[in-house]
Amino acid sequence: MNTFRTCPVTGLKVHAQADGLIKANAVVATVALLVGGIAAILVLLTRWQVVHLLPANWFYRLLTIHGMTMLIFFILFFEMAILYFASAVLLNSRVATPRLGWASFWLMVVGAVMVEWNMFAGKADVLFTSYVPLKANSWYYLGVILFAVGALLVVCIFFGTLVVAKREKTYTGSVPLVTFGAATAAIIAVITLGHGAAIYIPTYLWSLGLIKSVDAELYRLVWWGLGHSSQQINVAAMVSVWYLLGALTIGSVVLNEKVSRSAFVLYVLFISMASAHHLLVDPGFGPAWKVWNTSYAMYLAVLASMVHGFTVPAGLELGQRLRGLTKGLFEWLRKAPWDDPAFSSMIFSIIIFGFVGGITGVTFGTEQINIIAHNTLRVPGHFHATVVAGTALAFMGLTYYVIPLIFRKQVAFWPLAKIQPYLFAGGMLLFSVAMTFAGTFGVPRRHYDISFSQAPFDVEFSPAVDLVMAITAIGGLLAAVGGGIYILVTVWSVFFGKPLELGGKRV
Amino acid sequence: MSMHGVPRGITNPPPPIAPAAAAEAEVTHAGAQTPGTLVLVFVFLAAFALYYFVNWKLLSFIWRIG
Repeated sequence: MNTFRTCPVTGLKVHAQADGLIKANAVVATVALLVGGIAAILVLLTRWQVVHLLPANWFYRLLTIHGMTMLIFFILFFEMAILYFASAVLLNSRVATPRLGWASFWLMVVGAVMVEWNMFAGKADVLFTSYVPLKANSWYYLGVILFAVGALLVVCIFFGTLVVAKREKTYTGSVPLVTFGAATAAIIAVITLGHGAAIYIPTYLWSLGLIKSVDAELYRLVWWGLGHSSQQINVAAMVSVWYLLGALTIGSVVLNEKVSRSAFVLYVLFISMASAHHLLVDPGFGPAWKVWNTSYAMYLAVLASMVHGFTVPAGLELGQRLRGLTKGLFEWLRKAPWDDPAFSSMIFSIIIFGFVGGITGVTFGTEQINIIAHNTLRVPGHFHATVVAGTALAFMGLTYYVIPLIFRKQVAFWPLAKIQPYLFAGGMLLFSVAMTFAGTFGVPRRHYDISFSQAPFDVEFSPAVDLVMAITAIGGLLAAVGGGIYILVTVWSVFFGKPLELGGKRV
Repeated sequence: MSMHGVPRGITNPPPPIAPAAAAEAEVTHAGAQTPGTLVLVFVFLAAFALYYFVNWKLLSFIWRIG
């Protein structure tokens, strides 16, 4: 059971069970990306008024599927793989309880399949937020609960593995920064899943008819403790991946361990409060609560991102300069390995996350400005820049190292893999910026038909809206091509790829 | 050495940092060692200030007082 192999590249001891669990979670994450990606294309071609592909019921159904599959299943399965990697692999340790790891994995798979089945069958057209009194089939809520329990168990196994590694002295000194970052993601996951249990269990009982009602305002408050905090797990995991990819691709250095670790701690302490910005125009909450949570506490979490936004590129720069690339301001960046898809993914992830996602997010985290942004396309414009161009792209970059190091295969279609981050990042940049512009013109989010045909009233948007919606669609389709290449490359490499050979020897 | 289907960080890992360079970096202020990143930080700050200002301006147009 406790068999290890030694990685010939990194020298790390890899536990066979960790190997298997990472592979299984990564494969399911890719399947989820495929499902969510197809839904994304169909939703996009419906929002593009010129095409307007789907009927209304399928638009909302596929929007629900897109949200749940991408934001929950794809991301969380990938993050489970990261947790096993950051604990067992980086610390040369065995997985604490591998059998429970497999049981958790299957619990998550069963939960995800139940949720998908109900959504595709039209029994859960409640969108990602599933705001009450919208009611889905009770199996949908049960599926979400099972998935969440599985994820929570994996988080417990992660902490257990840290204890095992410490007790069995598999490493010396402090845990690596990447493991520390993953630990903060895991702590935020516990907070998030606690909120999930607090709101989905009563809602499940309500769907069964066992309790009479769920208060809509309370639902929104607690649900966003799950809905937004789950995205903060992504942020902590993504930043950890930035540090990891920086070290793997160009040997970046950590400027100051204490500063980077303190920034991770700021996430744990303050990021959950940022969930309040979803409720800034909600009339049920008082201004003091809103201002405290968004204008003060949230900025401490933003500070953490700004610290990482400096230390990660500065670590890259210093690493390059210490190796002799010292000419001018940007030789270190110009002579970086831009043909390494992991490096380009990381850089685009940092830039788009910070410049587009970060700036837009902080701006409409301001209460007064939120009134002109809320429920418009500016909101999905923001979170596609953070979660898709930020987190998903960083994870894609990591995959180009996971395939050779964990699956021990060569990356298939290598020339395509090299251009994939450029297509995906370019597409998402166009998509997010154009969407943000559309929202600025007042175009609503989650809306089937912005021409309001057959409505008893007339709503006219600026003629520029047609242009920005077309650019949104073109950007989205370009990103879909990039996403499609990623799926093709990973699936082909894993299942049909050539075994990795280094120095003429099979790894 | 670059190899088809394997990222450069694996086939051609970054060379180790010379001890003398590392020792010098220890005593130099981080900002002085990373001037390129500092420029990027100020570009970011300018972009943020501009976007934030534009939003308040937009708010003043949409929600007029009086």
